[in-house]
Amino acid sequence: MADAAIRFRDVNKWFGKHQVLADINLAVSPGEVMVVCGPSGSGKSTLIRCVNGLEAIQGGDLVVLGESIVRSGVSMSALRTRVGMVFQSFNLFPHMTVLENIMLAPVRVRGLSATEAEKTARTLLARVRIPDKAENYPANLSGGQQQRVAIARALAMQPKIMLFDEPTSALDPEMINEVLDVMTDLAKEGMTMMVVTHEMGFARRVAHRVVFMDAGRVVEEATPDAFFAAPKSERAKDFLSKILSH
Amino acid sequence: MNYQFKWSVLWSGQSGSWLLQGVITTLEISALAWVLAAALGIVSGALRTVPFRPLRAVGTFYVEFFRNVPLLVWMFFWYFGVPPLLPRAAQDWIFNHGAEFWAGMFALGVYHGARMSEVIRAGILAIPRTQFEAAVAMGLTTFQAYRLVIVPIALRLIVPPATNESLNLLKNSSVALTISVAELTFQTRQIETYTAKAVEALTAGTLIYLILCVGIAAVMARVERRFAIPGLIARGG
Amino acid sequence: MKRLLGVVVALALALAPIAPVGAEQDTLAKIKETGVLTIGTRTGSPPFAYVNKNNEWVGFSIDLVEMLVKPEVAKAVGKAIKIEKKESTPPTRIPLLTNNSVDLIAETMTDTAQRRESVDFSLTFFYTGAQFLVKKGSPVKGVNDIAGKRIASQQGSTNAKIIREKYPQAQLREFPDQPAAFQALAQGQVDAYTNDGIQLAGLKAKAPNPGDWEVVGDFYSEEPYGMAMRKGDAKFKAAVDAGLKHGFESGKYFEIYEKWFGPKGDVPYPMTPQVKTYLLKQIGK
Ligand SMILES: Nc1ncnc2c1ncn2[C@@H]1O[C@H](COP(=O)(O)OP(=O)(O)O)[C@@H](O)[C@H]1O
Ligand SMILES: [Mg+2]
Repeated sequence: MADAAIRFRDVNKWFGKHQVLADINLAVSPGEVMVVCGPSGSGKSTLIRCVNGLEAIQGGDLVVLGESIVRSGVSMSALRTRVGMVFQSFNLFPHMTVLENIMLAPVRVRGLSATEAEKTARTLLARVRIPDKAENYPANLSGGQQQRVAIARALAMQPKIMLFDEPTSALDPEMINEVLDVMTDLAKEGMTMMVVTHEMGFARRVAHRVVFMDAGRVVEEATPDAFFAAPKSERAKDFLSKILSH
Repeated sequence: MNYQFKWSVLWSGQSGSWLLQGVITTLEISALAWVLAAALGIVSGALRTVPFRPLRAVGTFYVEFFRNVPLLVWMFFWYFGVPPLLPRAAQDWIFNHGAEFWAGMFALGVYHGARMSEVIRAGILAIPRTQFEAAVAMGLTTFQAYRLVIVPIALRLIVPPATNESLNLLKNSSVALTISVAELTFQTRQIETYTAKAVEALTAGTLIYLILCVGIAAVMARVERRFAIPGLIARGG
Repeated sequence: MKRLLGVVVALALALAPIAPVGAEQDTLAKIKETGVLTIGTRTGSPPFAYVNKNNEWVGFSIDLVEMLVKPEVAKAVGKAIKIEKKESTPPTRIPLLTNNSVDLIAETMTDTAQRRESVDFSLTFFYTGAQFLVKKGSPVKGVNDIAGKRIASQQGSTNAKIIREKYPQAQLREFPDQPAAFQALAQGQVDAYTNDGIQLAGLKAKAPNPGDWEVVGDFYSEEPYGMAMRKGDAKFKAAVDAGLKHGFESGKYFEIYEKWFGPKGDVPYPMTPQVKTYLLKQIGK
């Protein structure tokens, strides 16, 4: 697997004295969808935030799209144009319309003309199934709509990898599916994805692999079928019983 | 009380034109100083929130240094302290070309820039950190994230305290009379000297400041409504 | 702070109910009741009124009040009285008088026709005129040399007014206080500083190197100093004037003058015969 899209090699990370990632070894192949789950505080967010350099690692190596990002002099902005990220809290820019949110990076970073960027933006809005909200401000959208705009905004940069950090956790239950559907479409189109989520239905249907983390370590790594049918570790069993029981 | 009010001193003789000149000078020095203060405030306020520590230190130094020294001292600094650093001929030139006004403007702008910085920093800190992360995660540089996302949002959040600071700046412009800038307070004193009608002159000055402040507050309220972030409830709206 | 005080005083006055027109002032009755004569005077105008090294508030104007005016006022109210001092400055002194904070202004206030519309003045107790303080050897030798020159003055002073009106070719710079104006002169922001000759003599005497400075020019204005009182209080004015008059007659005034302005005084400023004649003419001599 020399040509992995993302490869963690003995990655360690500390916040002060507190170790939050310990000896992580993981590889995500191009086109693969990896779901990361685990109890709160286990390091899931930190793990995927390392991939686009929002967090720095202190030990080991992390190669993204063929480039080690711990090498000094690597351009984070350049890396981030190729790695899209969707946050739990949507993070649309409230002072811009939906269209402006989506066009911002293509115009400012990739240097697209406004016309081109707008065309792409409208196509993307259609793809996330809200073509009629282009002129609205984020505050006038529902949570599910905002999160779909956030996905469109990330896709506007034509990334090779998409990172999702609990994209549905802040949503009312009736809106969760509209977001998961968009993510499912994306997976089917062959996007490389790392998804932190507790939506086990989504994991079962869409993921190629599930990673279970606890206390900063990868405790289990398996296909969804294997993981959900017979988790090997006690901690994973415990976690699954809690999460599936409600 | 045996004071003979004689309000006509305010429009007889040269008083009217002095008051007008005073208002114009006050507005000129305040407007220029405001632009300087806003620029310095935005830059230093933003610097104080960036991830890179040395830049934060620069911002903090500017604010603490300039905010904690009285404005009067800065007026004297720019007027008495700075020119001697120039060659003699340059000194003479600036002394003949409004050194007082420019020294006053710099003092006012730099001092209020430090105070504006605090307001802007507070505005930036009120924005969730994840907004910045979302901006850089799209590939914007830190500078672009500040310029296009963080600062524009912060500016919209801070209109009320920034209005306050702007009014303080306007009122503090009267300190420039200590270095011979003939602004509004200076002119009201002048009328008092000429007419010995202190009450009328000072009342006129006070009322004009009041009108200017109310006017500015009204303009800023419009700005606030015009640029309000949809979904954020505007004050009183 | 002083400016603020001025504004506050002004507002208070403007908003206060206006007293019935023509209400008679009776400062003497007030002094009789309280036993106190309150004067407004300065803290930084040596030798007229200032706080000295021993932290005492003293000066020529204050001595005149203590030694000449006070006994006469005491006589008029028929009991011993005390003097209390408050700080007054050019912008605050008239408001302080009119709102009854002080009864008498005794400092360096020039008696002008305009001011007489608002306050009454006592007999003139000091006579000086506007001159220039310059660096020794300066081309400015008097009021005829100031065209195109940068001239410092004190805000609110009569000299500034005269320069502005009669010598518009000069570039006038007005500073709120003496130290700032002197600093501007010392550093070259201005070419000369104009003020009453006596003030300039005082400034020169206090300067680190008095020899570097010159007071030049004939008086281009007349600056008779008087003590100011609320307008229309004839009885009080009579008492104040009687005190000064008695001082001129008995020679006590001249002793006090000698103490402050004699060769051994704070600011040597010998009285010219013309000035002496002017002062004595007031009492018909
Ligand atoms: N910026 C930070 N500073 C210090 N500690 C942090 C920071 N971010 C996360 N942590 C800590 O790191 C650990 C892992 O956090 P996180 O990656 O957010 O976990 P998860 O996403 O699995 O809930 C937690 O103990 C958390 O408290
Ligand atoms: Mg998390």
